This record gives sequence, C-alpha cells and structure tokens, in this order.
Amino acid sequence: MAQLKPGEMNLGTTIMAVQFKGGVIVGADSRTTSGTWIANRVTDKLTQLHDRIFCCRSGSAADTQALADIVKYYLQMMTQSHGEPPRTEMAANLFQSLIYQNKDALMAGIIVAGWDKYAGPSVYSVSLGGALNKQPFTISGSGSSYIYGFCDANFKEDMTKDEAIDFARKAITLALSRDGSSGGVVRLAVITEDGVERIFTPGNALPKFWEG
Amino acid sequence: MKAPRATSTGTTIVGCIYDGGLVLGADTRATEGPIVADKNCEKIHYLAPNMYCCGAGTAADTEFTTALISSNLELHRLSTGRDARVVTAMTMLKQMLFKYQGHIGAALVLGGYDVNGPQLYTIAPHGSTDKLPYVTMGSGSMAAMAIFESRWKKGMTREQAVELVKDAIESGVFNDLGSGSNVDVCVITKSKVDYLRNYRKPNEREPKEQSYKFKRGTTAVLTTEITSLVDIETEPSNAGASEGRA
Amino acid sequence: MLSAAGPTHAGPVRIPMEHGFSPYTDNGGTTLAIAGDDYVIVAGDTRQSEGYSINTRYCPKVFKLDNNCVLATGGMAADGQNLVRRLKQSIEQYHHVHAKTMSPSALAQLLSVVLYGKRHFPYFVWNTLGGLDADGSGWVYSYDPVGNVEKRKWACAGSAGHLIMPFLDAKIGHHHQSQIDAKTEGKPGSVPFDTAMKYTKDAFTSATERDIYTGDLLEIFVIRKSGVTVEQIPLKRD
Repeated sequence: MAQLKPGEMNLGTTIMAVQFKGGVIVGADSRTTSGTWIANRVTDKLTQLHDRIFCCRSGSAADTQALADIVKYYLQMMTQSHGEPPRTEMAANLFQSLIYQNKDALMAGIIVAGWDKYAGPSVYSVSLGGALNKQPFTISGSGSSYIYGFCDANFKEDMTKDEAIDFARKAITLALSRDGSSGGVVRLAVITEDGVERIFTPGNALPKFWEG
Repeated sequence: MKAPRATSTGTTIVGCIYDGGLVLGADTRATEGPIVADKNCEKIHYLAPNMYCCGAGTAADTEFTTALISSNLELHRLSTGRDARVVTAMTMLKQMLFKYQGHIGAALVLGGYDVNGPQLYTIAPHGSTDKLPYVTMGSGSMAAMAIFESRWKKGMTREQAVELVKDAIESGVFNDLGSGSNVDVCVITKSKVDYLRNYRKPNEREPKEQSYKFKRGTTAVLTTEITSLVDIETEPSNAGASEGRA
Repeated sequence: MLSAAGPTHAGPVRIPMEHGFSPYTDNGGTTLAIAGDDYVIVAGDTRQSEGYSINTRYCPKVFKLDNNCVLATGGMAADGQNLVRRLKQSIEQYHHVHAKTMSPSALAQLLSVVLYGKRHFPYFVWNTLGGLDADGSGWVYSYDPVGNVEKRKWACAGSAGHLIMPFLDAKIGHHHQSQIDAKTEGKPGSVPFDTAMKYTKDAFTSATERDIYTGDLLEIFVIRKSGVTVEQIPLKRD
C-alpha cells in the first residue's frame, strides 16, 4: 500500500457516516496538515458526488480529490445513460475498484454514504487496501481509533434525525479533542429523500466534555 | 556525482479575497541553495486576462506549468467562445500535477475573477487543492499566515486588502531567509487587473563606499604579436566585370 | 499488506526511520579580517540563523579578548561561544601565573592547541584571530576547526567567505594587477586604514546582497596600539 510522499498534504482526519431512520449523516473534522503545518483549518472533507450521494475523504488530499473527481464524473455519465440517479452502491463499487487496482499508488480511506430509492439510506466504507464493507455506521481516519468505544456504546439502529446528528457531532468532537491530526470545526451533512442539509458547528460551539 | 539541483524559489506568496475582487502578492527573491540567484524575479504569472497565478517551489516548474496551462486556457476560450472559469484553470493544474505525482515541484496560489465572482485556490505539488478566502504558500507561508490570521477580517476594502497582502509579504521577506527583496502585488477585479510590479521596495541597496572599476592597463600586457589574417591581392581592374555582375 | 485485523483507517503510516542525533549545526554568518602596518580590522555580521529561520538579528560572533586581540568565530554559535569562554579563562590564568599579558602569537598557538585537543570531536568553528605583533604591525591568524593555522594579512570565513575571498585577494593582494595607486591602495598586504575600512563595509554590504545567511548588523573591531574600538553598521534585514 502506498504511503504519504514527502510534502504531501494529509487529511489527518476523523470521518464517519451514520444510517438513521430515513437517511444518512456524514461527518468530518476540518484539518488538513502538511507535517506539523495546518494547511487548511476549515477543509470540507465531505464531497458531494451526486444529488444524494456523498463521500468522506481521509488519507492523501491529492489522491482522494482525484478519486472523488473521477467518481463524480463517472456518476454523471451513468445518470445520462441510465436516465435515473445512481445508487449509493454504484459509487462505493467505483471507489473500491479504483483503490484496489491502484493500491500501490494511492493512499485513500473513503466512506461512501447516500440515499437511493432501491436501498434507502446506506453506508459503505472502502479501506486503504480496497476492501468494501457495508455497515449501519462507520468511522475512519486517524482520529477514529479514539472513538470506537463511544460509538459502540452509543449507536442505536433507526435513530431519529436529531439523535443521529447529536451522536455524530459528539463522536467527532471527542475524536478531534484527542487526535492531534484532527481538529478545527465539525462538518455534518444530512442526506434524505428530500435532499441534503448541511450543518456547520464552529470550534467554539462544540459539545463540552471533560477536559481535565 | 550529484544530480543537478534546480533553482528553487524559496518564496512567500499569498492571496486574499475582498469585497469585489482579490489581491495576489509575492516577494521577488530566487535562491540557489544559500545564494540569491535573482534579486528581482517575477513570481506572479499570467494565466488568462482574468486570472493570475503565484508560483513557489522549483522555479522552472512554476514557470512552465503556468505557461502550459495559460496556453491551454487560451485554446479553451477560443473553442468555447467564453471566458475561462477559475475552476477550469484549477482543475487543469491539479490534474497535471497529480499525473506527475509530485515530481513537478510547483506550489501555486491561483486567483481569478469569473461569473462566480472572485475566487482563490492553492494547489500543492501533489495535486491537492484548497479554496479559501486568504491563503499563503512557500517557505515564508508561516510568517505570512501569521499576519493573515491576526488581521484578516470579512468585508475588507481594496485598500485594506492590498495593505494586508503587502504586510504579509513583508513579514515573509524579513523573517524568512528564503524570501527577500521587493513586494509584487496584483489586484484582480471584475473587469480590470492591476499588476503592481515592485509595489514596495523595502530593500534597496545603499551606494558603495567607492567605485571598483579597474583602471585601463591594470592587466599588464606581457607580449604583443600582430598576425596579419588578411591578404590583399590586386587583380586587373576589368577582370570579371563583364559577365559575372550582369 | 493490510491484514483483516489491521487498521481500516488512513492514519499517518509509520515507516522505519533512522533518528540520528547530530551534535552540529551551522548558524551561518560571515567574518573578515584585514591587517595593516599598524592596525587590524576584524569584522563579522551579527545574524544568527538555522535553516530558513533567523534565531536572532543580534548575536555577536566577534569577541574582544583581554590581551588586545580580537577573535572572530564562524560556524556553530554554541561551539564558538564555548571556545571564547575557554580562551578567556586561559588568558586570565596566564596572567596570574606569569604576571604578564599573553602575546598575540602565544594566543595564536594556544588556540591551535585547544582546537586540536578536540581532534576527534571538533569545535564546528572557523576562527580568525587578529592582533598586533611586538613591532606593532598587524597580523591575522586563520584556523580550520581542528587547529591548522596560517598567519596572513587578510582572511575571511563563514557563509559568504567564498564570495568575499577573491575580492580581498584582488584589492589587498593586488593579484595580477599593475598600475596600483600606492597612496590609496597601498602595497600588496599593506592597505591604508581608511581604504581597508571601505573594503570591509563594501565586502559585507555586497555579501548581504547575495548570501541569505549574512545581514542585519555589521560589527567592526579595530585593533591599534592604543586599544580596541568597535563600530556598528546596519545591514539589510531581508
């Protein structure tokens, strides 16, 4: 598997996606680093691939942006030829093939989440080596290791929208407070049949936890 | 045997959006290791009538990358009959840099004005991009960002933005050894570009104590020899005049 | 390859890296010395840097020693300062033991011995020592880090040493030149004081133009029979 090249921008990152009753939420911190330098403190790691499909990017900024651009282009072409919006699974499979077939050159950990009329809300994660997993919720990025316990303890299936937002925001906040490579603000996007709602939580309005 | 080292522009380059336009800034020092190779080079490159691009990193790479994309944008304008958008330039640059996997050492600040208003991007050598209201790049990026992070505010006027950009570059010029000499500024608005070459010159050299011109004859003439290289032959005056010069 | 139980996230990947500690660092800066018939000029800039950063714009690297000698140190600032501290101790001890001031030639030899004493872990310093001989004429001793010494009439060292050296060779050594004006330019290796001061200033302002590690302030020490005087001249700060 590829590793970060010298001077390459790194999405140190905490990202996650959560299925709830009627939709999915994608969430991410906003830090991009180059060594110890924070190259962008308000990064948007939630990339819209289609009307109701998003991906969360972690790993190399260059690799994940290039991948997302390719997949976005592919989904547009698919929409034209099939005459209907693509399924989330389609986007996830595209990422899977690209990452698996170029695992020597890429450093990309990606979460794909969205809503389609066949599967409803769904969440997929594509690992660094190109393994694809469908899960009710998933966390990824360097900050995710700090919040496995929190997520396992607090995740419930079929949460309401507000419960899911609260869960995601708390999880990312906990991760970025412990992980040096994650930080900044919390960005969330709620995807339902009705469309997309973006939620921005600045660094000074994050939920409070024990700080020692 | 070591591989030849390319001239790197240890650099401070910045950009800043204000209400109605954007300002790009750059220092003018080019270095080869510890030596100043050029005291007044141009780091703000032309891309299109509504777009300019500051370059940091390997001098040749920034020069040729911007020149190539500038050329392709011109063709793009001719084939579409529209002004090129800033995202188009950004996408062309990032796809080229990504293709070369970081071997083209160009770190760019791209600024332009199109149908979507003023826009500012950074493009790192590996092909990642960021879209922000104020950006810095190069070895002086930390010194310059310190100025932006302490003094940037929303809704600045053109004058305030130029002043801030000037101070950010000067912060790089004085605190980063890779940056120096003068401040170049480029203001891009809806229908006009003001390229303010050498907007500030805070490092003019004072006159030397004396002249160091050598007196004529300083280098001693040890021997003199004159070799005649031209042989002059005289021919009869009418030879070849009748046919040859008809 | 990723194992099933391995990390599924894209965190910073640890690769084997040698973490060697280097006891040396180059803090940049330039030194210069010109000796005349009755004076020595020893000068250095005061910028101290590391990489592309300036540590300080004023950290002297030219030091007056108690016996009418001046030492310029270039290279690693910490080693230079430590060396000067040791030399000052030795000069004082010499004073107590022998009840007289150490001569410049004795100090020159001492410095060589001190440097060679650390032959296998050298001071990372390029020294230039200036002093007046018994007959009052100025001399410069220049050293490599392990104590090799040369007695000269002019010397320069440090980050812009290689830029200044040919200038001094031409203007003080008068190499390959005829028609030298003896009144203003002197004889080879014996320049009038005012001219030497001009050369010193112009050497540093020019070095500041082209060497990124030279700048901020120029400190010029002048040794005469009557004692040592110091002059400070601002240099460009970019």
